[in-house]
Amino acid sequence: MIRFKAARKRFADGTVAVDDLTLEIPAGQFCVFLGASGAGKSSVLKLVNGMVQPTSGRVEFDGIEVVPRTYREIRPRIAMVHQQFNLVLRSTILRNVLAGALPGTSTTAAMLSLFPAELQQKACRLLERVGLSEKHLYRRAAHLSGGQQQRVAIARAFILDPTLVLADEPVASLDPEISRGILQLLRDASRESGTTVMCSLHQPDLAREFADRIVGLARGKVIFDGLPDQLDEEMIGRIYAGARAARETAEDDGPVALGALTASEAV
Amino acid sequence: MNNDTTTPKPAAEWQLRSVYSTRLFALLAVGAVLLAISAHRSEVDKGLADSGRAIVAVVRGKPESSRVARGWLRFLSQAFPLVIASYEPIENPEEFNPDTLPAFAYRDTKYPIKDTMGDVVRYVDAVVKPIGYLTYVGGLLVQTIEIAIWGTILSVLISIPLAYFGAAGYTPNKFSYNVARAICNMNRAIPELIAALVFAVAYGQGAWAGILALGVHTSGFLGKFFADDIENAAKGPQEALASTGANKLKVLRYAVLPQVMPQFLAYGQYILERNVRSATVLGIVGAGGIGVELNERWKQFDYGHVSTILLAIFITVFILEQIAQRVRARLIGE
Ligand SMILES: Nc1ncnc2c1ncn2[C@@H]1O[C@H](COP(=O)(O)OP(=O)(O)O)[C@@H](O)[C@H]1O
Ligand SMILES: [Mg+2]
Repeated sequence: MIRFKAARKRFADGTVAVDDLTLEIPAGQFCVFLGASGAGKSSVLKLVNGMVQPTSGRVEFDGIEVVPRTYREIRPRIAMVHQQFNLVLRSTILRNVLAGALPGTSTTAAMLSLFPAELQQKACRLLERVGLSEKHLYRRAAHLSGGQQQRVAIARAFILDPTLVLADEPVASLDPEISRGILQLLRDASRESGTTVMCSLHQPDLAREFADRIVGLARGKVIFDGLPDQLDEEMIGRIYAGARAARETAEDDGPVALGALTASEAV
Repeated sequence: MNNDTTTPKPAAEWQLRSVYSTRLFALLAVGAVLLAISAHRSEVDKGLADSGRAIVAVVRGKPESSRVARGWLRFLSQAFPLVIASYEPIENPEEFNPDTLPAFAYRDTKYPIKDTMGDVVRYVDAVVKPIGYLTYVGGLLVQTIEIAIWGTILSVLISIPLAYFGAAGYTPNKFSYNVARAICNMNRAIPELIAALVFAVAYGQGAWAGILALGVHTSGFLGKFFADDIENAAKGPQEALASTGANKLKVLRYAVLPQVMPQFLAYGQYILERNVRSATVLGIVGAGGIGVELNERWKQFDYGHVSTILLAIFITVFILEQIAQRVRARLIGE
């Protein structure tokens, strides 16, 4: 269960990305955050694993407040799927999936690439589950198509049996046909394992097709929260109203400084 | 928000800059004057004039009229034939036992000893090894390569912590960053020849002083190159692993290292190559290897020996480059 209590994020430049967000997401739900570029979807997702820290308010994950002190406890239970897949392109596909299990591996074993046999077998099962085969195992990720790369990223996300998957525009760089396959996979895989998914999308039709629940965001505020059937054309119009103006000033997916991230998770 | 209230200019009125500004011409003129002054101070003018005179003298068929051409001729005439044989004078001919001769060696009772001008000054009774000098030089070259390899290993070992602490995003704080970067700059700034002299004071002349000098000097390069590459590696994969709670060391190992490995190997190979070249020179200050022999022979005007050494170095560096290229292609190949 994820709980936002009056969470607010104001970036150093004054941009308010998340405005007074109060929301509860029950375990096992496939919750889609729908909004135009710059609406605050990425920021909302990243509040949950502390990659964005709230300026005020509170974010809880399974009853644990998300603050730097608790990152070490929380992060291994939260996996991310990214718009740009973020695989290590020069590494093999197996290696990429295993890298998702690094928090659960001792540093010494990790430095020597000594992953337990069960873990490697689990990686194989996951790769099979996402539709890849044995011949892919030792291929470099760079040799895969975008859709296949995202499948590997989903396998990587599930390797530590996460409680929650944060999928930030997982299909924004893919063709519509492939997008549906990826969302289908993400939804089915999470159903099978009872995993909660927070998925941001900007396509209303995809949201309606796959979501258990849709949260509509505009300028950092929740302006819709309901079942897919309840999302009518008028509401879609409101979610995207002013998006043009916002798009002109806002950049898609503002960068999160890695320095801040790694510094805060350092031991 | 955007507050562009002025109406934009039509394209026809946009200001274009000329490629060659007066400032550029002024800078070029100043540069030319400075170079001209410096050329005189550094005897570039004299060197060019001497070379020109030498070429004219050779073309006219009167090379003796030019000092430079005479010098070249003197070196070239004595550089060949290459000296590849060695000899040991026989002290007690009565005790000489032909059965104890090493392979290919033979006795020459009238082995000619020449002076630096190539004239025979006397004959000795000696055991002659036809390729004795060549094998001796080969042995020294192997020693030189060993020094270079150890220097490179040391360099990599020193540069790994320098790269970690010198890479923003991984270094613990600003202070450690600055210290690591300062050490890199310092190591690079100290010429290895000077470093070898200093190390030779502490450890005595020999290979170890050379290894330390090479390792310290080149770690400045490797540390900086590694750190810069770590900083420039794609952030996405790093973010992906860090977001799951993997610590910095693991992120570095799994998200950065695979990305930067080809460059790292290329740098390592380059450093090894230049260390082989540098190691030949380091011997001149007594830091072991072929350079010691080269220096001795040079001082004694033994140009026949010198040219054997130079040729051997050239061939060795060439072969090593070929090997290194193949190894690298293997390591990073698909
Ligand atoms: N690191 C950042 N620094 C400053 N502003 C940011 C940063 N990240 C995002 N923003 C701004 O916050 C707003 C919401 O961004 P984001 O959460 O990425 O929206 P979305 O994912 O819906 O496109 C945008 O206006 C964006 O420009
Ligand atoms: Mg985004």
